Amino acid sequence: MKIVIDGQEIHCEGEQTILEVAREKSIYIPSLCDHLRLTPFSGCRLCIVEIIGRKGYSPSCSTYVEEGMEVKTKTRGLQKLRREILELILSEHPNACLICSEKDNCDEYKSTIRKVGETTGCVLCPNNGRCELQEVVEALKIDKVRFPSVYRNFEVKKGDPFFDRNYNLCILCSRCVRVCHEVRGASTVSFVFRGSETVVGTILDKTLLDSGCQFCGACVDVCPTGALTERALKYETLPDKETTTICPLCSMGCELEIKLKDGRILSSRPSGTGAVNQGQACVKGRFLIKDLVYSPKRIHKPLIRVNKELEEVGWEEALGFVAQRLKKFKGKDIGLISSPQASCEESFLFRKFAREALKTENIDSPAHFSPLATYMEMARVNGLKPDLNFRIKDISEAKVLFLVGSEIAVSHPMIWLEVLKAVRAGAKLIVASSIESFLNRYSSLYFQIKPGSEFYLFSFLCKAFLEKEQAEDISKSDSFEPFKKSLEKLHSSQVFEFTGVREEDLKDATEFLFREESSIFLFGSGMTQSPFGSQSVSALWNLASLAGARLFPLGLENNLRGEFEIGEKFSRKGLTFDQIIGAASSGEIKALYLAGPVPEFKKAKMEFMVLQDSFRSENIKMADAVLPAATFAETDGTFINNEGRIQKFGRVVKPVGEAKPDWWIISRLAQKLGKKGFDFRTPSGIMEEMKKASPSFLNVSYPEQQKDKAAFIGQEENKEKKFLPLTFGRFLVETSKTYPFLLCVDYNLDFYRNLSLSQEIRGLKILRDSRWIKMNSKDAERLKLKEGETVVVESLSGKINGVVKISGLIPRGMAEASLLWNEEADFSVFNLFSPTPQGVHFSNVLPVKIKRGK
Amino acid sequence: MEKIIHPKQLIEWKQKSLSQRLVFKKIIVVSSGTCGQASGSLQIIEALDRELEKRNLKKTIRIEISGCHGFCELEPNIIIYPEGVFYKKLKPKDIPKILDETILKDKIIPSLIYDEPRTGHKVSNQKEIPFYQKQMRLLTEKNFRINPTNIQDYIVLDGYQALAKVLFNMTSKEVIDEVEASGLRGRGGAGFPTGKKWEICRRVSSDVKYIICNADEGDPGAYMDRSLLEGNPHSVIEGMIIGAYAIGASEGYIYVRMEYPLAVRHVTIAVEQAKKVGLLGNSVLGSEFKFDIHVVQGAGAFVSGEETSLMASIEGRRAFPRQRPPFPAQEGLWGKPTNINNVETWANVPLILNKGADWYSQIGTKKSKGTKIFSLVGKINNTGLVEVPLGITLKEIIYDIGGGIKDNKKFKAVQTGGPSGGCIPADMLDLPVDYDTLTKAGSIMGSGGMIVMDEDTCMVDVARYFLNFTQEESCGKCVPCRVGTRQLADILTRITQGNGEEGDIKKLEDLSRTVKAGSLCGFGQTAPNPVLTTIRYFRDEYEAHIKEKSCPALFCKDLIVYYIEPKKCVGCLLCLKKCPVKAISGERKKVHVIDQELCIKCGACLEVCPPKVGAVSKYTGKKRDRILKKSSVERAEK
Repeated sequence: MKIVIDGQEIHCEGEQTILEVAREKSIYIPSLCDHLRLTPFSGCRLCIVEIIGRKGYSPSCSTYVEEGMEVKTKTRGLQKLRREILELILSEHPNACLICSEKDNCDEYKSTIRKVGETTGCVLCPNNGRCELQEVVEALKIDKVRFPSVYRNFEVKKGDPFFDRNYNLCILCSRCVRVCHEVRGASTVSFVFRGSETVVGTILDKTLLDSGCQFCGACVDVCPTGALTERALKYETLPDKETTTICPLCSMGCELEIKLKDGRILSSRPSGTGAVNQGQACVKGRFLIKDLVYSPKRIHKPLIRVNKELEEVGWEEALGFVAQRLKKFKGKDIGLISSPQASCEESFLFRKFAREALKTENIDSPAHFSPLATYMEMARVNGLKPDLNFRIKDISEAKVLFLVGSEIAVSHPMIWLEVLKAVRAGAKLIVASSIESFLNRYSSLYFQIKPGSEFYLFSFLCKAFLEKEQAEDISKSDSFEPFKKSLEKLHSSQVFEFTGVREEDLKDATEFLFREESSIFLFGSGMTQSPFGSQSVSALWNLASLAGARLFPLGLENNLRGEFEIGEKFSRKGLTFDQIIGAASSGEIKALYLAGPVPEFKKAKMEFMVLQDSFRSENIKMADAVLPAATFAETDGTFINNEGRIQKFGRVVKPVGEAKPDWWIISRLAQKLGKKGFDFRTPSGIMEEMKKASPSFLNVSYPEQQKDKAAFIGQEENKEKKFLPLTFGRFLVETSKTYPFLLCVDYNLDFYRNLSLSQEIRGLKILRDSRWIKMNSKDAERLKLKEGETVVVESLSGKINGVVKISGLIPRGMAEASLLWNEEADFSVFNLFSPTPQGVHFSNVLPVKIKRGK
Repeated sequence: MEKIIHPKQLIEWKQKSLSQRLVFKKIIVVSSGTCGQASGSLQIIEALDRELEKRNLKKTIRIEISGCHGFCELEPNIIIYPEGVFYKKLKPKDIPKILDETILKDKIIPSLIYDEPRTGHKVSNQKEIPFYQKQMRLLTEKNFRINPTNIQDYIVLDGYQALAKVLFNMTSKEVIDEVEASGLRGRGGAGFPTGKKWEICRRVSSDVKYIICNADEGDPGAYMDRSLLEGNPHSVIEGMIIGAYAIGASEGYIYVRMEYPLAVRHVTIAVEQAKKVGLLGNSVLGSEFKFDIHVVQGAGAFVSGEETSLMASIEGRRAFPRQRPPFPAQEGLWGKPTNINNVETWANVPLILNKGADWYSQIGTKKSKGTKIFSLVGKINNTGLVEVPLGITLKEIIYDIGGGIKDNKKFKAVQTGGPSGGCIPADMLDLPVDYDTLTKAGSIMGSGGMIVMDEDTCMVDVARYFLNFTQEESCGKCVPCRVGTRQLADILTRITQGNGEEGDIKKLEDLSRTVKAGSLCGFGQTAPNPVLTTIRYFRDEYEAHIKEKSCPALFCKDLIVYYIEPKKCVGCLLCLKKCPVKAISGERKKVHVIDQELCIKCGACLEVCPPKVGAVSKYTGKKRDRILKKSSVERAEK
């Protein structure tokens, strides 16, 4: 359609507001409350325009263009009105610097710097220089405020981690309120009171921490003033450089915008153009990156053990030392642990190194315990080739979403945002979990099932569907009859007993699940790591096939998919992750090369251990050589995220100390070992070789038709519908008198390499401590335990310490702990598992007893 | 009661009810709306019940508890039918006498009947009381005869007949045409033609449409909607069902503020009863039309009366208005086309369809048809609810119906339209009351609040009062309203405190224009009206406050002094004893003196000084300065 703005004829399309069109054409209209990703608010009234033929003024942020509309944005009347409105805003906001006649010189000469304080001017405002209010004042040329100033004198709220809230600087634009509700679904803050007392606040003025805030920082990012400011940035100067990278802290890989000053990271913010995150991030990407890179636990120099002590040496000496020692071991005596957080190039190179330089196949990573591994194992056994690639926006377009065994609001925040979009657009969300989920408030149907009973739930749903419907097209499949027959052995009374779900809820579920609209089932490690995880995956496969749903595992680490693909292609013959750890403890493996996370070894009989990591961990005590690796920010490479999306990331800063990228270390070490074919100078050289070795990396797909934007890893898929017959027994984890609690273990993703984020970064520890033992208040009362107290959790196989956290989400008789690979031994949940875990899961449900610790 | 499945059954029901009622020789109607109950109507009912029981009269004398009769000044009152005897300001002790004399012997009790305050003329029949005589009670007349908790009473008075007619004999378009032809305009304030509004909503195609009854009446001193909901809820419900039929809505909401507990109760009972007899539900009156009503209580924010914020509130969100367009008819409640009308508008609908648009459109002026209910309050003799044809002059309302100004003071101004309205001065008393004339005068019709002010009212203070109200009730969403009204209120407060500055009037006018032009919703767009109209008509008072620091109405505490005239004071000690801060000194038979430094200007001395002595006066301006000076000299001497 055609419209006219200030005499300029403009062609525009579809549903756009006047403001959006004007911005595209670089016509400046001042505005403070409008934001690209939020619904219009029309509260600041600065974006008002005149529309010929309409009475009065219309806010351009919420007025949609119409054919032939004629708009004026800069009449004298408008400018005057805008100035008066802005003066009203300034009457409630410190304004001395904004309207100071010497402000142009102030920065240089500081002639007036002493005249204003934090309550009256900008000089001490943490947002000085990046404030949208300053920009608008500049644009509208305000030189005085005719109204008396009203300082609202609110106490600055400093009781929460990561950011402060100073509502004296708030202009009530509602961006934080809207982003929290509309985009994040948390609805932590809202307007409270009315009239001139209106202010943004939490329920009953509690802290954000107590109001359900996840500290994603979205509110800080949209705040136009200094009302919400990141504490770490408060007294920092303005950045001199900006660059982007990919966040390595979950499997989605958000694009982050890194602000730098003098080659140092100042802060990280979600990038607005990120294909996965579109301006959003989570607490980790938003607030932890800087602290992670500059952690005091970073290893700055190579170390080698000389006379029982670790000594700092140069790279040459260290690599020589390691090469010389490694040469002494036979291939089968060496084990290597890689990391699903390293880049594809490094994963590939590490395997090449193992195979060619060390002659061993004993290389694996914690990817072994991922939902992806369980799923693909099921597929392999049954000869299936499932579709693994999806696009995140498929989720927001789905009509039915079934989520099992994952608290995605914490583990996959970006997927959660898409789920929220879908729910807002009318999709049915069905959630099944043992511990009440945050998502419950958005779900159409919620099953709080007994731990490990997913298998029965899915199978029953299949049975209920088949009893009601004739699935003709499906029944042609050869596998259908055996499957249907196997369901006969499932008795509904069993299902209700084992799952704890009510019959009527199950009825509703069949209604929703089989609507034959685009549905997506997502499952996480909460399901796959249960003792009956393999059966559950098979049952869920059947259910998804019947419902015509797409089924995706929710991987956890950023490059899990890459690590898994490379592992599948290049090393499937040797020991698995758990077997390597077991063998290292028992001495069957004599040399261990750790480039990925493992639980702390209390005692191990191996002869030689190399630790290649960015951070010190307890295992350093056992290491004979320590090779300081660069973090993701200090190197470049490729991740493959949960969608299968290929994500290139570039170097942001120079490595700390003498740390070197993993690929460099391994190449050099291989060369020291006298191997050829390791003279790589950049990760892209490694990628070239990888492409030759594996078709997945060669057959990259570009669903978006923009080659540089969205490339997906190639996959073989086989769309045959196959059903898996099941056997039903009494698959239940049961408590006993000695072990009266059911402990659910949640896979904790709050780590980067050997750094436990919640132990190292205070804000995160307050928000979610990896050492928490969460339990119901009634249970805690019965055991006379208070929040924050130390407890001992004991299973048949071992015991650990933990810290009591009371949570209303935990049902009585249950507790929740999290498994963090590199946790200190005293706290490591790994100790509760039986010493040699078999198969692909570590069994996340355990009968335990809990008692007060010392 | 069984469900009505055919309109004929309505008539049968009415006739059956009428015949059942033949046994009653007399009906005593007790006015028991919120104002009645506040004045003690419940005790009257109790006494009536007791005394009738005692006299064994309950089988032949019926007590009817009705909503408000409008004459709030004389609550609690009763009317005895069939004669129509009106007894006012009753006490429980009057009841035995009424039963023995009037009920049993048909004798009038002179002490309880109405006497005109100005002439002393006594009137026993309700219909002959001038307050009622001059009104045109089309909507409120039934309040005399209806027990709002009993649907039967409404049925007896031909209730739901309009609905029956509409459902079985008219198409939705015909209904809208009829309403449009009647000239009915929205009674909530803005005066948009109702038929037109319905037609817009009817034309939007959607699977679901809603209608809403806006009963979030919040103007200070206005209670028209409350009295309709309390006294005759079925008229509103009937109007809504007809409107829903016309528009094609399947669900309706009545949004009523929780500060109206009686209205909430009555309307909830009425909806329940209507559901029970099949007037609401899947088959209204046995037709194919399906409609249901929900009652939603508001939490008492003034701005919830604004249509978009009202809908936000029903949806469970904070009552923030939003920018229009889209209008509710396009995207309203839950994003669906919605038609929203005020209580009084809905109550007009059955009337129009019963009696026809031709009849209705003869009432009122060319552009404003029908009657309007006003709540007449302030410095007026007959405080109460009055229903008058539009086009009546302010003078007729204030003098003929309202009985003139209290204590024979001089009329100064009348404020119409609540906080969004304006003040109309004495020289415009001949103004006909209709939408357009009031707007032209700088005020608005609003929902019908009418606050009468006498010579003792300071117009600057009136503006301050209203702006203080609006700044507190602003929702806080948009800047001009939230901050602008606060700044306006601050300037006005400053002026009334004697701290006005040169240029303040200009500042007030400029800022008022900014707030009007810049605000998001009708609340902010009209909030400065009290300031602008008082400046327009009473500029001299502003100037007196600012330049001379004097309050001509002798009202603003900071600008006046109380003074005991030495020549008049008889030294009776009355004021001295009454003064709460012991600011008055003196002895018996000697002149009393107020220590101005101690005086808190409570006015107790003026009140207590016997009228024939009249020694206490208020002064402002230069005289005040002289008195203050003198007082400080006296104080220094002591």
